[in-house]
Amino acid sequence: MNLLTFFRGLPQVARQEFLANLKSIRLLIMVAVLALAVVGGSYGLSGGTGGTNLPALVMWPHPAYEANGSQMASVFVSDPFGSPRVDVRVTFSTSFRATGDLGEARTNASGFVRFPVWNRTEVFVTAQTGTVQVGSQITWFPSLVNFTWATDQFDFGGDSVRETLAIHVVDRSGAPAEARLSVNGTYVRDVDALGYGRLGLPVGPSDITIEVDTEAQTFPVFVFEDPVGSLFGGPDATLFILSAFFLYLIVPIFAIVVTFDAVSKERVQGTLDLLLSRPVSRSGVLLGKFLGAFAAVAFPVTLVNLVGLGVITATSGESPSGGFATAFLGFTLLLIAFYVLLQIIFSTLAKTGGTAVLFGVLVWLLFNILYNVLTLVVGLLIADPAARFQFGLYAGLGNPSSIYQQLVLLYAPLNLTGFFGGTAIGGDVLGAAAAVWLVVLLVLALWVFERKAAA
Amino acid sequence: MSVAPVIEVERLVKSYGRHTVRALDDVTFTVPKGDIFGFLGPNGAGKTTTIRILSTVLDPTAGTIRIDGHDLGDDPLAVKERLGLMPDEVAFYPTLTGEQHLLYYASFHKVPRAEARRRAKESLERFGLGEAGSKKLKAYSHGMKKRLALAQCLLHDPEVVIMDEPANGLDPQGMRYFRDLIRSLHHEGKTIFLSSHLLSEVEQLCKRVGIIDRGRIVAVDSIENLTARLAVGAPTILHVTAAELSDAILEAVGAISGVTAVERTEAGAKVTASPGADVGPDVSKVIVLGGGKLREIRTEQRSLEDLFLSLTGGGPV
Repeated sequence: MNLLTFFRGLPQVARQEFLANLKSIRLLIMVAVLALAVVGGSYGLSGGTGGTNLPALVMWPHPAYEANGSQMASVFVSDPFGSPRVDVRVTFSTSFRATGDLGEARTNASGFVRFPVWNRTEVFVTAQTGTVQVGSQITWFPSLVNFTWATDQFDFGGDSVRETLAIHVVDRSGAPAEARLSVNGTYVRDVDALGYGRLGLPVGPSDITIEVDTEAQTFPVFVFEDPVGSLFGGPDATLFILSAFFLYLIVPIFAIVVTFDAVSKERVQGTLDLLLSRPVSRSGVLLGKFLGAFAAVAFPVTLVNLVGLGVITATSGESPSGGFATAFLGFTLLLIAFYVLLQIIFSTLAKTGGTAVLFGVLVWLLFNILYNVLTLVVGLLIADPAARFQFGLYAGLGNPSSIYQQLVLLYAPLNLTGFFGGTAIGGDVLGAAAAVWLVVLLVLALWVFERKAAA
Repeated sequence: MSVAPVIEVERLVKSYGRHTVRALDDVTFTVPKGDIFGFLGPNGAGKTTTIRILSTVLDPTAGTIRIDGHDLGDDPLAVKERLGLMPDEVAFYPTLTGEQHLLYYASFHKVPRAEARRRAKESLERFGLGEAGSKKLKAYSHGMKKRLALAQCLLHDPEVVIMDEPANGLDPQGMRYFRDLIRSLHHEGKTIFLSSHLLSEVEQLCKRVGIIDRGRIVAVDSIENLTARLAVGAPTILHVTAAELSDAILEAVGAISGVTAVERTEAGAKVTASPGADVGPDVSKVIVLGGGKLREIRTEQRSLEDLFLSLTGGGPV
């Protein structure tokens, strides 16, 4: 059989498969799902937030003293804006385990709880409403001034920069103090009647001064430019999380949803005979099916990925490194090819539409959940520790999703792999494994189709 | 036969499952160019299997097939180019229009795009789908699908047209339409391989038939020859329509040389004669001379149905 005969029918079938899939509703649904994950993920992970990173509950614990000198905890519970939270359960404990062994109380109409602790020098206090719980520790020690304060920094701007300093000040008796707040020596405002005050600070260090009557205390506060950035921020990290933790799950589903009945549908609806009776070769039809379905998945996925890269660049102010972005786009195509081929094979074997759906679900489950369990069990069965170690190292090569993850890891900037854990397998081995997977799946698909297409 | 065969099937075998079940066993027949060949057989006899192998969908286990001299095993593409298939189940892509179907199928036959458009339009018009051509297939009735099946089958002007139960599920008008169409294709010189279980259909259209039963060809010949062959060894039966047939007349008829039995019927009498005996003239003479009022003597014809039933062991058709 010459090469032309081998590919006979490929372009026609590929074009038809591509166009039919592109117009299908299931593809539209998958594009919507993917776009939500990629664009939403790109935006959310690169620091844009919907204002949901403010705590629902803020607790301001203070050490205070009764008129007779015995120790007392004064706790103010509010939201980040200083509005008191009424009737919130506050417990007091002797240890951080917050057993509530010292007792509990509920905040009054002003958001305050006053709780005697006698001669204890430290108590652990928690405030809880719904499932939100905040905890802290109060210690009593001799103070130079007759007031105490608690502070918290918030990101009111939604840009990950916590530039708002909230301060709560009470006097020695635990009652709201009349305090004046200054930043770098310049008076800004008084705290409110409940002792709460808020200061907007510039990025970098600031000196905060609290004055009550004639007494004053000054302390430094630092506003970090990007407090998360020091750990794993930046466009590369966003892209990495996106591909290694979101796309590796969703893209296979996309490929499976589009391809699961590529062959079985033709058989079930009866169009396969008419197609095979045309001047086509089986190999041409199969490869056309593969390329058409692949393009129908790869085209929208790449489009959404490019939009995602754009969103990452727009929200974080810089673009991911070029090599990593290219690798991400390319390996996603590889992942699509793996799953489209797998589904074409199973679709050829499926005699009914129901079986085709079942095969699709099973393939996804196998490589995304069952495979890890399987390798775990096999690993446990290997007695020799050295052999078990080797097995653990290379077990992922039997799973196309895992190959994708490791390839992306390989091209991620080193500081990221340091944080997320890298891959110990070299690019040559991973590349060879990917190539073997592709070739074996392709040959298998051709063979199965040759034998089973019209059986 | 003077005309060269265009379909040659030789010792065709198709078996399934470790070669234990033989769907086709040693099937051999030829169809001359320009013929309408009727392919008959009970359900499950192997008709559709034969057609799927002929149309290159299914691979045979053994045997050779040549279409217009091209061996199906050696040069399947040449065979495919010369074939038009109208499958039993008219199945199409529900979301494509009639015209899109024709263009898609034409694209495999190396018909240039513009030419394919022209042919598709023409063929849709010819089969009464002019307006429906731009509609998606899910809006088509069964009859419309049948006509689209015809359109796609003839689009690339094949030499051999294979039709699997083309009249299936059609109303009487539809069946007549198909009969006329097959006749006109015949006049265009196309070779038609017509599989059917509708004997009357085959009888009206085909000169030659092949009969398959349980995977084996039990007869291939012209309908005339087959019925004649059937008649050999079978008694000749005359149905006499006449009035005033006295017992004496019947006795005299029974005495005619070659007549083996006479029985009175409502219309007159039924005369059975030994095979090959031509007793008609004698019977009429005896009746008329005896004073009977003779209206008609009809020799009973052996029909394709008798032939079919006798060859396929009277199995269900």
